[in-house]
Amino acid sequence: MTSTDDISQMLDNESLKLQNLIKIAESNCDLNIHEIVETYYQVMNVSSMSTMLKEQIESQPDSLLNKIQIIDKSISEQFNSNIHPRIMKTLSTSIKETTKKLQSGNTDKKSKEEIESEAKLFEELRQKMSTREFVEQYDKGLYDD
Amino acid sequence: MIETLAKNLVNLKKEFASLYEGHSQIQEVIPISKSELFQIEQQELELLHQFAAKNPIYYNSYEKVIGRTPCIVYEGDINKYWLSSIQHGSSHAPFSPTWIMSAYVGALLAKKLGYLEVIDIGSGDGRIAFCGKVIDMESYSVEIDDMLFDLQKFLCSTLDYNPRCSDAGIFDYSSLNIKQPIFFIGGLAQMGGVSLASAVLEKINSIPDLWPNSGWVFAGTLSQKYASDPNNEAGWGTLIEKNNLKSIQSISLPTAWAFHESDDTPYIFTQPN
Repeated sequence: MTSTDDISQMLDNESLKLQNLIKIAESNCDLNIHEIVETYYQVMNVSSMSTMLKEQIESQPDSLLNKIQIIDKSISEQFNSNIHPRIMKTLSTSIKETTKKLQSGNTDKKSKEEIESEAKLFEELRQKMSTREFVEQYDKGLYDD
Repeated sequence: MIETLAKNLVNLKKEFASLYEGHSQIQEVIPISKSELFQIEQQELELLHQFAAKNPIYYNSYEKVIGRTPCIVYEGDINKYWLSSIQHGSSHAPFSPTWIMSAYVGALLAKKLGYLEVIDIGSGDGRIAFCGKVIDMESYSVEIDDMLFDLQKFLCSTLDYNPRCSDAGIFDYSSLNIKQPIFFIGGLAQMGGVSLASAVLEKINSIPDLWPNSGWVFAGTLSQKYASDPNNEAGWGTLIEKNNLKSIQSISLPTAWAFHESDDTPYIFTQPN
């Protein structure tokens, strides 16, 4: 059986990881795909822990409940209201720009090397589109809650 | 004979995939000539090569002996067609082709099963319809994307496989005057295929003379990347049951999207119960 101290320690560790990721996201408007996915993953991880602990609210000490409230507030105010909408907007803009760039590309006959180099841009576009789908699923979850 | 041909093609693909060192987005091979493993009429093989050589999705080709089969490797890129196809609100599945040799084997099996016409739905560059025509079946292809339709118009100067630019879910199939058609549905069940197939099934079901004589071919997947279907059939079981179809044969064939996978693409041949 996990003790309250263990739970509290685990929550501290995970929320510290989240705070670091939030700091990076606040200072950098142009997160790469890996950073975006890592940040959302950690938000979901800490949110799940918080939800689970709140379900056992009566058995939790006040210090842990305070901690949970602070974490929830940080996710709601820093991430959900600020960083998440900005990431959605940045991804959409970036997808539009890359799509436009690829659509307006030179249509002259290209060399094998040019085609294979351009294919990397297409791959980036696919990654951004799939990340946008993931981020949109998160957004949908916010309104379903 | 067709099953052996399919098996030899899958082995050829496995050998090729283990040797391939290029960087193209899609790649496929076609044997150069008739051999013990590939007992195909030379004239038909040459038509398949013509289709690939003329097709602008391939930007490079070279000869290579794979196993003991001399082949031509075709390297291609479908990115611009993918980009065009995803712009369509009603496009169900983005374009990704089967191998030309797989389209040929699929058409051979359709003919052996007694069908008279190949209808290539969500046809991409129309290669399944083209292969139907290669073996003297009547063929039609239906494609919603105008860029791909233009490509088909260009390609069908070799053999006219009757391309139509239309949403397959609203196309008037009675206008084709078909009697015993087999419909090849483009796209995996999990990638928009169910929606596309359901719309076409509904259209054909409403033509009483046609429905009992029709055949339906679905490209499935065994990949764990995709959700499985509770009724199996490589993702198509629920649709097959819901539409009162029965599976009559399944063959595995190479496709562009399964090139790096260990399992090839199962093609499920079905008909109304």
